Amino acid sequence: MLKQDFLSALREGLKGLPEKDIEERITFYGEMIDDRIEEGLSEEEAVNEIGTVDAVVQQIVAETPLTRIVGEKIKTKRKMRAWEIVLIVLGFPVWFSLLAAAGAVLLSLYIVLWVLVLVLWAVEIVFWVCAVALLVAGVGLLISGETPAGLCALGAALLLAGLSIFLFFGCIAACKGAVKLTKKIAIGVKNLFVGKERTK
Amino acid sequence: MDIQLKRGLLDVCVLAAIKNEDSYGYKIIKDLKPYVELSESTLYTILKRLEAASMLTVRTAEHDGRLRKYYHITDAGHRRLEEFKSEWKEIISIYQFVSKGEGNHA
Repeated sequence: MLKQDFLSALREGLKGLPEKDIEERITFYGEMIDDRIEEGLSEEEAVNEIGTVDAVVQQIVAETPLTRIVGEKIKTKRKMRAWEIVLIVLGFPVWFSLLAAAGAVLLSLYIVLWVLVLVLWAVEIVFWVCAVALLVAGVGLLISGETPAGLCALGAALLLAGLSIFLFFGCIAACKGAVKLTKKIAIGVKNLFVGKERTK
Repeated sequence: MDIQLKRGLLDVCVLAAIKNEDSYGYKIIKDLKPYVELSESTLYTILKRLEAASMLTVRTAEHDGRLRKYYHITDAGHRRLEEFKSEWKEIISIYQFVSKGEGNHA
């Protein structure tokens, strides 16, 4: 890939970011390529060293705050005409409820994810509490002469304690998974706004 | 490595790369290569952050018929480097405390 191809692919990929940001990135990467060529690399080698356009775009998107991307999306590039303003005002019940619904769906996805994790932890805690309670009950039953029931309670206590240890690792893994998924969702949302033209 | 710690270290590395003379993007990456691998996007983010914190300034100059950006360290940048050096003394003494007596167990 040659320098101009790389830079124009990068520009396409970054569409949706503020124009100023894109220009700055293009200048930056252009300079990086030129400096490598000056060092004696061929144009293709210089571009290869920078990495693929997709990798560069993904990293930039991950680093740019969502508010900046959305802010750019809703910013109008020209003055709005009167009828456009009227339409926006009249259409408020429609677009606002759609927007609110989209936001609510995202929020509920997020909440469901964390509630699942929370539930796992709750089960974990219940296991422990039951294990301790059964242990106490088992000892009490043994002392009062109810040997079979006491042994049964002690066995159940040990079983629950064992299970809860396993579950503990499960809980940790679920937490980590949820954090990863949250990050993925954020990047997914950002990708909705950036570089859309490239995929079409 | 802890991400916050690494971020702080990279900032200091970039400042150190321009502390004696103004430098440009590719040269910074090359100069740091023996110590840290820095990708273009990472460097870009660090330079932006340092510029926003007024630890460096940017000027564009002509080089070989094209434009190149040069980065210049400010007094605040020099102060940050001094700060880092004194912080590091603390960290080294903590490190020595943490690894004290390890040799006996081996």
